[in-house]
This record gives sequence, C-alpha cells and structure tokens, in this order.
Amino acid sequence: MSKKQRKIVAACAILAFSLGITSTAHAMHIMEGYLPAGFCIAWGVLCIPFLAAGSFSMRNKLQENRRSLTILAMCGAFIFVISSLKIPSLTGSCSHMTGTGLGAILFSPSAVSILGLIVLIFQAVLLAHGGLTTLGANTFSMAIAGPFLAFGVYKLCQKLKINRKAGIFLAAMMGDLFTYCVTSVQLAMAYPSESGGIAASVVKFLGVFAPTQLPLAVSEGILTVLIVIGLETYAMPELKSVGFIKEQEVR
Amino acid sequence: MLTIDKLCYYSRLRYVNAMEKFTYTVLTLVFCVASRSLLMAVLVLAVNGILTVKKGGIPFSQYWHYLMIPLAFLIISTLAVIVNISHTPLNAFAFPVGSYYLTGSYASLHRGVQMILTALSSVSCLYFLSFNTPMTDILSVLKKLHCPDLLAELMLLIYRYIFLLLEISSAISISQDSRLGNRNFRTSLKSFGAMASVLLIRAMAKSGALYDSMEARCYDGRLKVLDEQYPPKSREIIWIILFESLLLIYTVIKTLILTG
Repeated sequence: MSKKQRKIVAACAILAFSLGITSTAHAMHIMEGYLPAGFCIAWGVLCIPFLAAGSFSMRNKLQENRRSLTILAMCGAFIFVISSLKIPSLTGSCSHMTGTGLGAILFSPSAVSILGLIVLIFQAVLLAHGGLTTLGANTFSMAIAGPFLAFGVYKLCQKLKINRKAGIFLAAMMGDLFTYCVTSVQLAMAYPSESGGIAASVVKFLGVFAPTQLPLAVSEGILTVLIVIGLETYAMPELKSVGFIKEQEVR
Repeated sequence: MLTIDKLCYYSRLRYVNAMEKFTYTVLTLVFCVASRSLLMAVLVLAVNGILTVKKGGIPFSQYWHYLMIPLAFLIISTLAVIVNISHTPLNAFAFPVGSYYLTGSYASLHRGVQMILTALSSVSCLYFLSFNTPMTDILSVLKKLHCPDLLAELMLLIYRYIFLLLEISSAISISQDSRLGNRNFRTSLKSFGAMASVLLIRAMAKSGALYDSMEARCYDGRLKVLDEQYPPKSREIIWIILFESLLLIYTVIKTLILTG
C-alpha cells in the first residue's frame, strides 16, 4: 500500500468513525425514497395482516370499555414523545430510543403495531425521520418485528423464571437489535452486493450501522428497566388499567 | 418544540387547499421513486425547493438544515452499497486490505449517486407537504380519503396529546437539570427513567380526565371537528396536472427505453 493509499484509507476510517459517533443515532428509520418502488409496496402488503389483527383486537378492547380509546391514544403519544427525546449515551452522541419494546411489554404487541404505524407517520411528517414511501418497510421493522420479538422474549423469560428485570432488559434490547437486523436485511434485499449477493450486503449493512445501533440497544434496555421500576413503584393502578399487572400477581 | 409543526403555520402556502398539496406530494413521490432518474430528481428537488422557500416563505437555513438531517443515514448506507469486500478488484477503485480488496465498480458508483439524488428529491417532496400543511389539514385529507375511523380518530387524539406530553417532559427535564440530574451518565440514565415513568403516569391521569370531559360533552364514539374550507383554485390544479403529466411522460419514456 502506497503512502497516498494509506492516507485515503485513514481518511475514510476517520470519516466513518466520526459519522458513527457524532451523527444522531435514531433507531434506524429507512429514509424517504431510499427503497425501490417494488420493495415499498411489498413491505407494505406484508404489514397488512398484522395491522388488521391489531385493529380488530383494538376494536374488541374498545367495545369492552370505551375508556380505552383515550388510554390507547395517550400510549401512542407516549411512544412518540419517548422516541423524540434525547437519551443519555456514553459516547456523547445524541440518540433516541424506539419505545416500541416498552410499549409491547406494557400494552400488547398487536396494539403497538397500530400505534407504531401512527407514530411513524408523525415522525415522518413532524420530525423528518423515515418517510411516506418507506412507511411499509419501517412499520414492519419497528412496529411489528421488534415489538413482537420483545414481547416473545419477555414472555419466554417469565416462563423460564428468569429475574423479571433481566427479562425486561433482554426483551427491550433484543427488540431493538432485531429491528436493526430486519432493517439491514430490508436494505440488503433492495441493494444486493455485486460480489456476494444479498448475504454479503446484509453483513455490510449490519457492519456500518453497528457502531450506532449496538450502544443504543443497550441503553434502550437499561432505560426500559428503569421506567418499569418507576412505574411499579408509583403507578400500580395505572399498570393494572393497561393490563400489564393483570396476568402476574401483584408483588 | 416541534420546529416543523411551528413553521408550517407560518407558511404562505398554508391556506392552499390541502387536498391539492397532498395529491401533488404523493404523485411526485411516486414518480420519483418509480423512475429513479437523475434528471427528474434534480428537477423535483429544484421545484420543491422553490415552492417551499420562495412561495412558502420557509427560511432557507431551516430548510437546508432539515434537508441535511437524513444525510448521515444516506452517507453510511450508500457507502455500504458502493464499497465491496472481495478477492478480486472491481473496475472503479480498489484498496488492498490484507488479501482482500475494498473495491467498487462504476455501475455501483452510478447507482450510489442515483440513490442519493432520488432520496433527497423524495425527502424534498415530504418536506413540501410537512412544511406547508398543518397536521390537522393532513388529517382531514385522510378522513376524506376514507381512512378507517379508528385510525383517524386515534391520530387526531395522539397529535393533540403529543404536545401535552412534550410540555410535561420539558418541564421535568428543566427541573432535573437545575438539580444536577444530568451530571454524568449514571445520573442522566436515572433521570431519564424517572422522567419517562412519571410521564406515563401523568399521561394516564390526563387521559382519564379527558375522557370524562369528552363524555360530559356528549361524546358518542366519534369526534366531530369543523374543517376550515379552502376551495381549490383552478390555476393551481392546472399547474399540478401539467407538472405531474410531464413527470408521467418522462417516466413512461424512460421505462420504454430501458425495456425496449
């Protein structure tokens, strides 16, 4: 490697590193217009069964108790606000949590799929994160895949009698990581690598986003545990009203 | 607190019929993404820039700032598309790293430029809508397009609640800051957790109160809000039709050339 080439590589490394650290680390929204038309439609169609299931379960809940409409709306606004606030991070970069893992644990993953869709629309229009054409892909990764996995992990940990806090931490972190993996796969399917196809491309996307997304997942896990601890200390009646405490005995 | 939401109320295009703006945005977006052509991307970028900054009166610095927000994502993911790791060097550039090459081809470079321009032009479409149309107008458009009642209602309520919760959260963060709550990483984690859990508790209390007050005003499952009426102007409609048909013709010709 000549001196010049070495300099170029060093410059690239510095650029990549500084971008990874200083840039805002949002949970990975695919930006507007980044996916080809076919993929936008395909991911959107894939979301429909989940959204339909979500809206049916919501309707049933509303028929049981009309009061849950305002509660659901507050939960949606809560997820939006939580995801728009800066969270503390070790590197000093400004990052944001997804909040959907917390939502899935507190409410239910099917309700979060609808709320997540609405939150994503608001994020696109009010905060310029994500977009309208990529709404389907983003909904699938952030409002469906992540929350459902987080909920699954949480339930599994309960079955295995793992410490509750550890379970919540794992659920929120894994939900976040899964969102990041799904997004990478979505990007890779749209832009397969020239040498190695989709698989190589997945590795590349996972690699370039890892510096921002891995610390984010850990912080999301820690914060979710802290939030749930706070809620259990001060808000038992509210937790019962959203159905979080119902299945498990009040300690 | 939400800059875009504040700016769109100042926009001079605010009182243009919302359906017009929505149709223009969606059609342009579709053509941009479907054609993925460089020429069209530049054209759309310019037109939207002129519409938002010149006609709408949104400060250029703000517009530019928002256009740059997705840049980090754009650069990182486009790098991932352009740069390959392989044993054999490709034709555009190649840096040897051990026995491998960090390499790319002219085709992928072209694709990278195409991706960046398409993405920026579609973002400008989105900004045209969000910088010039208040959310309530967008919601009334969605209602006219027969978006499911449940979704429309939830969106209306959530939009209202967002500001309530943002206000509470900013008050809490200020008081946490003034008590050195964000002194270091540990305390700031603790503060954020405490703030978020209090936020949910407050949200629940507010939602209960809100339901009570809605019921006291004869809430029967549907929120009825009066829309302000801004009738569409035929001159604007003609311009939109002209512009969109230009884009349509260009898209058709381009796909015909590519396939035939």
